[in-house]
Amino acid sequence: MLAYRGGDARAFETLYGRHRARLFRFVLRSIKVRALAEELYQEVWMRVIEARASYKPSARFTTWLYTIAHNRLVDHWRRGGLSLVSLDDHDAPSSMPDPAHHAEAREALARFAAALERLPPAQRETFLLHEEAGLTVPEIAAATGSNEEAAKSRLRYAMTKLKAALADD
Amino acid sequence: MTEERDPKVSRRYRELGAEEPPRELDQAILAAAHRAADRAHAPLVAPAGRHRWYFAFGAAAVLVLAVAITVQVEQRPDAEALLPPTVSVPPDRVDRFDTPAEKENKAPAEPSKPLADAGPPPVRERRKAPAQQAAEVARADRLEAPPQQAPAFETQSAPVAAPAAPPSAPSAKTESQAAPSPMATARPQAKVQESRAVASLAGPLTPEQLLERIAELRKEGRHDEADKALEEFRKQYPDYRIADEMLKKVERPK
Repeated sequence: MLAYRGGDARAFETLYGRHRARLFRFVLRSIKVRALAEELYQEVWMRVIEARASYKPSARFTTWLYTIAHNRLVDHWRRGGLSLVSLDDHDAPSSMPDPAHHAEAREALARFAAALERLPPAQRETFLLHEEAGLTVPEIAAATGSNEEAAKSRLRYAMTKLKAALADD
Repeated sequence: MTEERDPKVSRRYRELGAEEPPRELDQAILAAAHRAADRAHAPLVAPAGRHRWYFAFGAAAVLVLAVAITVQVEQRPDAEALLPPTVSVPPDRVDRFDTPAEKENKAPAEPSKPLADAGPPPVRERRKAPAQQAAEVARADRLEAPPQQAPAFETQSAPVAAPAAPPSAPSAKTESQAAPSPMATARPQAKVQESRAVASLAGPLTPEQLLERIAELRKEGRHDEADKALEEFRKQYPDYRIADEMLKKVERPK
């Protein structure tokens, strides 16, 4: 990022190649609607480009990137009328189709996907930051503006619910 | 953190698929990145319309700061010239610097006093004034401004002024130093005011200050300007988390 800040466009390509797929999946699985996810994903990268001059390497670039993504997600949720409290407290309704018509393996996967979707947004985000982005609990806390205890607790709740979905297999 | 990672959950999560962004999106983002790099550090959004006040304000702040630093730097050699104990300057040179008002004040006193009792030579008094001003300005600013916002030139002026302030001259001179001329007292006040103005304008605004300004715009009902300013803010500080309380103030009410 520092090289890109200095005007090296190739450095951005490297950075983009390293993070594109993971960031895309993080956004996609956070908001589920693909068109919206693409829009938000692009916004995140545009913010990275625009803020390159003010970038300070006080933390890992990954943490900075997902902090920006988190802020965009929060804006998205706010626009949808979700409050920060509801992000933690209420399970989201699943939009997955009925898996009854799928083969058993597909059903198990669908159940897991549904369980992931049903997670409260904050728990789902924490799980995705951990599993998809590879952030540690302190990094998750930094990216989401929470404390480590809250991040750890959210991750534990998410894992418990996802394990329960696996146990149904 | 590995204790939170469950291999079964991880494996099942991976089975969900490896979606990737569409190629067109990749190309659009990379093209934007290249354009931005070509433009070096120029802002992506050119100042236009009501955004101009940001740039005008910044330019004005830089200008005022530059003028203040120039004035300060010009004064410094005079203060340093005080350091050598013996400076002989012809009285006619002194008069060239005196204003008519000062000449009137001095004129009746000088002939009646012997040279030894007259205090320090006028040139020393005149030359000490800027140093005293600098010292007073520095003192005033240290009291007024928070330490992190104090412009660099103020901190630089303090060491220059400090050696001039202690009475290194004979005791006869201290009396005249303690009672400076009306001009000498007026100038530090003006200087302090100028310095305060500089302190309020100098330096880039912090994110908190920018948010306060946006909140003011919102309070005044200038929602379009506030929206644009907020958008600019989010571009400038994408990773800045706006506190909920402040967010209520800066976001357009629903």
